[in-house]
This record gives sequence, C-alpha cells and structure tokens, in this order.
Amino acid sequence: MLSIRNLHASVDDKAILKGLNLDVKAGEVHAIMGPNGSGKSTTGHVLSGRPGYEATAGEVEFLGKNLLEMDTEERAREGLFLAFQYPVEIPGVSNMEFLKAAVDAQREHRGEAPLDAVSFMKKARDICKAVNLDQSFLKRGVNEGFSGGEKEAQ
Amino acid sequence: MSQEQIDSLIKKEYAAGFVTQIESDTLPPGLDENVIAFISSKKDEPQWMLEWRLKAYRAWREMEEPTWAHVSYPKIDFDEISYYSAPKSMADKPKSLDEVDPQLLETYKKLGIPLHEQEMLAGVAVDAVFDSVSVATTFRGKLKDAGVIFCPISEAVREYPELVQKYLGSVVPQKDNYYAALNSAVFSDGSFVYIPKGVKCPMELSTYFRINESKTGQFERTLIIADEGSQVSYLEGCTAPMRDENQLHAAVVELVALDNATIKYSTVQNWYPGDAHGKGGIYNFVTKRAVAHTNARVSWTQVETGSAVTWKYPSCVLKGDNSIGEFYSVALTNNFQQADTGTKMIHLGKNTRSTIVSKGISAGKSSNAYRGLVRMNPGASGARNYTQCDSLLIGDQCAAHTFPYIESKNPSAIIEHEATTSKVSDDQLYLCQQRGISAEKAVSMIVNGFCKEVFKELPMEFAVEAGKLLEVSLEGSVG
Repeated sequence: MLSIRNLHASVDDKAILKGLNLDVKAGEVHAIMGPNGSGKSTTGHVLSGRPGYEATAGEVEFLGKNLLEMDTEERAREGLFLAFQYPVEIPGVSNMEFLKAAVDAQREHRGEAPLDAVSFMKKARDICKAVNLDQSFLKRGVNEGFSGGEKEAQ
Repeated sequence: MSQEQIDSLIKKEYAAGFVTQIESDTLPPGLDENVIAFISSKKDEPQWMLEWRLKAYRAWREMEEPTWAHVSYPKIDFDEISYYSAPKSMADKPKSLDEVDPQLLETYKKLGIPLHEQEMLAGVAVDAVFDSVSVATTFRGKLKDAGVIFCPISEAVREYPELVQKYLGSVVPQKDNYYAALNSAVFSDGSFVYIPKGVKCPMELSTYFRINESKTGQFERTLIIADEGSQVSYLEGCTAPMRDENQLHAAVVELVALDNATIKYSTVQNWYPGDAHGKGGIYNFVTKRAVAHTNARVSWTQVETGSAVTWKYPSCVLKGDNSIGEFYSVALTNNFQQADTGTKMIHLGKNTRSTIVSKGISAGKSSNAYRGLVRMNPGASGARNYTQCDSLLIGDQCAAHTFPYIESKNPSAIIEHEATTSKVSDDQLYLCQQRGISAEKAVSMIVNGFCKEVFKELPMEFAVEAGKLLEVSLEGSVG
C-alpha cells in the first residue's frame, strides 16, 4: 500500500533522511521511534508534501501511484492523513465549516456530489455522538482553545 | 439666475461646439458655473438648488485637494472630467448578454447573480426595464402605505423641497471637504429616504438595481432622514464591476437619525479595482456621515473590495445623549489597490457609545490603511468607545497601516483600543491542504473566518454575497 524506497529528504538544504526504506501493507500499524532529531516528523511531512520539506532522492509509491509527484492536497485526497502534533488555529472558521470543506474536497475527488448542509450537519452530529465528543465542538473555531489532547483527537 | 439667463448660457455652450451631442450624450470635459447651471436646468431644479450648488462650487474653487491620506495616484485634472452624462439611448446598449464582455459575465456567475439580474447589471436593453418599472411601482406602493418616501434625490428636490432644504448639507456641509464640495456642486443623482415618526420601514431599502439600471454616474448624493422613533435598514450595493478607466467617484451620504430612531446602512462596494498591473480602476473618494440625536442609533457596515484608490470614513456625530454609533468594516485590497479607510466617532452627548470593528486584508502589492478618530468632547460624560482593528496580510509584498487618533476631553469617558496584525500562515495553509482543501479555497476560508464578526452584521443575502465577493477578489493571490 505504501512503499518507501531509499528516501532522501532535506529541510532548508540540510539533509535529514538518508535512505529510508519501509513497506506498509493494508491494515498494518507501524510505529517509528527514535531520538529527537532523527527524522520522525520529517518523514511524516515529506510524505504529506509540506512546503520546505524536499525529497532529494528515492521513490514513494502509495496505492500504486507516485506519491512524490502529487500536490499536498492531492495526496490528502488519495487518503494520506497526517495527525498534527501542534495544529495551528484558524480563528473564526468553525470545525463544521472546516470539516465540510475537507469532506467536499474528498467527495469531489471521488466524483461524488457534495453533501448538502443539512445532511452534512446530521452526519457530523452522529459522528460526534459515536466518538463521545460534545456537539459544541462543531461550532468552535478550528483548533481554537483546545487542550493538547483535543487538538490531536481532531 | 433666471430661466432666460440659463437658456442663454446653454446656448452659448452650444455655440462652443458640442451642439448635437448634448441631448443624447455627455458634456465636454471641464467645470464652470455654466456647467452647473446646465446640470441644474437639465434636472428642472428650483432656483434655491442651483444657488446651493453654485455656493458649493465657489467654495470648492478656493479649496485644496487633500494629500494626507496614505495613498498615491497621479494628480487629477478636474478639467479633464465630464460632469454630466445623459443616459445613453436604448440603441447604444448591448442587445443581449451575448454582446457583454464574457469576463464580466464570469464574475456575475461566480457571485451567483441570477440571469435576469445579470442582464440588468450589464445594462442590457431588453424587457428588463419593464421588469424594473413594475417592481419599482409595486414596492413603492407598499412603502407609500407606510408613509415612507424612497425616490431619486432629483425627484425629492422637486417634490419635497422643504425636507431637502432643511436637511441637505446639514450633516456634510458644502464646504466640509474638497470632494464633498465638488459633489455638492455637481451631484448627478442618488437616493432620498424619509421615514415618518414611529414608522418601522416595512422592507430593506436598496439601491442595488437603480444605480446600475439608470447609470447615474460618479457623483451620487444620498440623504436619509429617520424621523423620531423610526427604523430603517438601507443597502447599497455596487457589485457591478465598472469597466471605465481611472474614473472619479465622489459620493456624499448624509444620515439623520432623530430622537429614538435607528438607521442601519450597509454597503458592499466592488467598483472596478483596475487590472492586475494597476492600470485603470475607480478613485473612490466618498464622504459618509451620520448625526444621531437623543437615544438614536446609527450603524455603518461596509465591505470594500473594489476601487483602485479608496478614501472613505463613514462617521457618526453622536449629538444626543445616549446615542449609539457603530462601524463594522471589511476592506480588502489586492494587486495594486490602495485603501485609506476608517471612521470618526464624535461623542458630544452624555453616555454616548460607539463600537468600531475594522478588518483590513491586504494581498498582492496593495496597501491598506485604517484611519480612525475617536473624540470625546467635554460634554460627553460617561461616554464609551470600543475599537478593534485587525489586519491580515497575504503574501510578503503588501502593506497594512493603522492610524488611530484618540482625543478625550472628558475624564469620565472610557476608550478602549485593540489592534492585531496577522498573516495567513504557511502552517494554516498546510493544515487545510493536508485535509484535501485547495490553497485557494483555504485562503478564502481563512479570510472569511477573519471577517466573521463584520459579516454577521450584514443582512443575510448580502453576507453570502460578500463572502463570495472576497473569494473572487482574492483569486490569484496565492500560489
């Protein structure tokens, strides 16, 4: 599903990853561990295409496609999701709006019509209930005033 | 000046060479007393109106163009401008939408304006005119039942001279400033509204259609009088992008809120901002002011996305005790646009209150300045002001400036001022993109979030339009 071959990556012209190899099959959970500065976060950011994180050599194949050729948002639409350690706030944008924009982008990518506001809201509330999240979460600003744990859960 | 004199003046002008054009088209460039007499007679104005205009004109001749605003543009040659343009005949207008600039139509489509409205905005000479006439008469009937007067100001000068004479220039005097004086001399048309005592206007009033349909030109004059205990909400939409190059637009708006009255004035301004290289666009030099009497409330809400240069400070004179002034503003500049905008809150009465929320967004190579004055006069005991001034920068070549002036002459007055400057950060964009949202959609979402406090003050359908307008205006500002 995800196949990383000899990946080299640098940040600000500083080489961080020097030949990473990893195969992840569907349903597998991998944990990458290591001391500070060994490149764990860099791996995540290079895979998701964060600006400034440059893959200088190697190949990454995701679901049969060349991941490194895709834009950040395309990679996300293909199904690559990164949980942020320190997510930024977007003042004034509610979680509901943010999630709807994300879901709409995903649906458009799959050739599906966007959900109308009412069915989206219903779905979002159902999911909140299922994961035991207070409904007020949907009205709050993206990452505004969340605890660390809440931010990661999102 | 007698009718004969006016006629002879006009005849003299005819002899000067623009004879055949006059009926159907435009006065030749230049401004003198003859031109003003011509405008006044074209509109069948009474003698007092002509004298009022001439007084303004003579004052204007003595005045200097202001240069204190944080904007720069080539000096305007006022003799290069034509001050009267009659509506073109139907034959000159496009016959159908097929003849209208496709780029213009694309913009309308993005704003979600329905087809027959698009035809009106583009000035298409189809049955739209009939439509608008019948629409106008039906709602005029409803307003008339409520005693509300809503008509072109040129009509009000003839039909309601006592009201116009009493209030015209009472808030923005002829000599108030350079552009207000010019407007007073040559104003072409605009709206007049009178809400009688105790009446709540049964519908939102709007100039959205009328201005576009009749192409009233660059010098509008609006006068709104809310009599004691009355309420009105007025919308001004300039959402049709203008195609003209570096056109001067100098409007004056006067609001009079008598005791216990409420006026809410909302503007969505999207005059042609010039192209991506800074060529063309409107110079928007506007004077808007309100006087609030005892217990009255005036609220200005503006969304400014257009114009090449904007110079505009909708203000409130809080004259009566307990009166309230509010200013909610979103000003967005992109490419080479320049805006110097803000408000003045003049507290005269006791326990007067004012709120200012200003959101400036700069993108491209634009410059966006907030300039505001809060003045507590000696009599304004117990007065309060709260100001919040936020700037958002997109990219690294734009500029945001804040010039707040605060004068307090009353020790019991309380003034609060908060200001922030922030950037649409790479991290915010990355977070959105990592969730599959495109960079352009992400910027528009972040900007809309930034403006939320102001948008919630707008009437519902305007709020939707304003959001979309920001999206269109920001196109090409990232990536």
